Amino acid sequence: MNMPIAPSTSSTPATPATDAPAEVVESQAFTVDALARACGVAPEWVRTRVEAGVFFGHGDAGSWHFDSVTLVRARRILHLETVFESDPQLAALTTDLIEEVARLKRQLRAFGVTVP
Amino acid sequence: MEFKDYYKTLDVTRAASSEDIKKAYRKGARKYHPDVSKAADAHARMAELNEANEVLSDPEKRAAYDTLSEQPHARDGQDFRPPPHWDAGFEFSDAGGASGEYSDFFEELFGRAARAQRAPGPGRPFDDLGEGPDVARPGSDHHARIELDILDAYTGAERLIAVRSARIDEQGHVVNQERNLQVRIPSGVFEGQHIRLAGRGSPGYGGAPDGDLLLEVLFKPDPRWRAEGRDVIQRVPLSPWEAMLGAAVTVETPGGRAEVSVPPGWKAGRKLRLKGRGIPGSGRSAAGDLYIELELTLPPADSNEGRAAYEALGAAFPAFQPRPSLGT
Repeated sequence: MNMPIAPSTSSTPATPATDAPAEVVESQAFTVDALARACGVAPEWVRTRVEAGVFFGHGDAGSWHFDSVTLVRARRILHLETVFESDPQLAALTTDLIEEVARLKRQLRAFGVTVP
Repeated sequence: MEFKDYYKTLDVTRAASSEDIKKAYRKGARKYHPDVSKAADAHARMAELNEANEVLSDPEKRAAYDTLSEQPHARDGQDFRPPPHWDAGFEFSDAGGASGEYSDFFEELFGRAARAQRAPGPGRPFDDLGEGPDVARPGSDHHARIELDILDAYTGAERLIAVRSARIDEQGHVVNQERNLQVRIPSGVFEGQHIRLAGRGSPGYGGAPDGDLLLEVLFKPDPRWRAEGRDVIQRVPLSPWEAMLGAAVTVETPGGRAEVSVPPGWKAGRKLRLKGRGIPGSGRSAAGDLYIELELTLPPADSNEGRAAYEALGAAFPAFQPRPSLGT
């Protein structure tokens, strides 16, 4: 789940803004361990999903690297697996469909269609 | 803090079986799934469902919660303080904490913070409580989305974002705190990419580093242009004479004004590429290209001169077949 970035109710007043140095995550920057950490799972969860073709890594087996798009996909699959106790392949199929719908919506917007 | 009626959140009775709770949670999770739901508060509702499920699907937490629910003022939304030692006799592991995804009610009763409250010495980070003081564990990463204009990707931008986190104050109470972060977004970012704010996730413990905050970049829809990776696509309308005879057209692109030479001869679907005029490169990645999608736009025949011009055009091409494939 993402944290809300819009201001939300809080028990204490918001603190003054502090500068937060930002670093752009370059392509294929996530190792197995980094992807696992970003998803909050054990590295084994990542390895088994790559071996099962649920998502893909660049490079040689065992020392894969992943890009930002794969991080989003992996978190989506993890959410579906966790909430619905689904088989990883079913979670991947659902994610494929979610990604396809998003792609088609982008195309519709490109044609000037208002998409909710 | 406000009392939370978790049964109401999941829309089940107090007599609901664990299977009923599981079904109700999944039903709600499907309804408020962030990729599907169009409800403005889908994110918050999903967080409420997760919280209710976390308590009611755990037999020990549920039993403790049921006992607590019998207290006076234990009504949804009412101000509530648990009695001392309310959880005596129940054993449940800590959950959640520090992500800002849980209510004060949950954090106070079931969160990692709850155990920190009972432990000696406030101020102790609660990401790893229960594992002993010698265990080092890095803080978990947090995730959020940040919406930018495509123009921001050309120029860089600054955004003020608010993130929530839970901590324990000097009196040992759980406090959900909102922090404002001023984030400088460098140029060259594209949709789907992540921006890392190092050390802005959950606190680490035992000398291990804090987690990071990862911001997924999204672009606001813009009728003028759209992006695919670092490539940007812009539609440019042409008049019939520009399309057929060729023209030098001035175009306002995301990177500034550009003179585009349109070759003579119209072809539907034709694109012109302006190399390197897409989203700027960053690091070792090259800049994207700007693709101009040419569109034909016709002037209206809403005057005598206009109608005469179209009639003259028709007369000039008596053999022209606009629908050859249809044979009409």
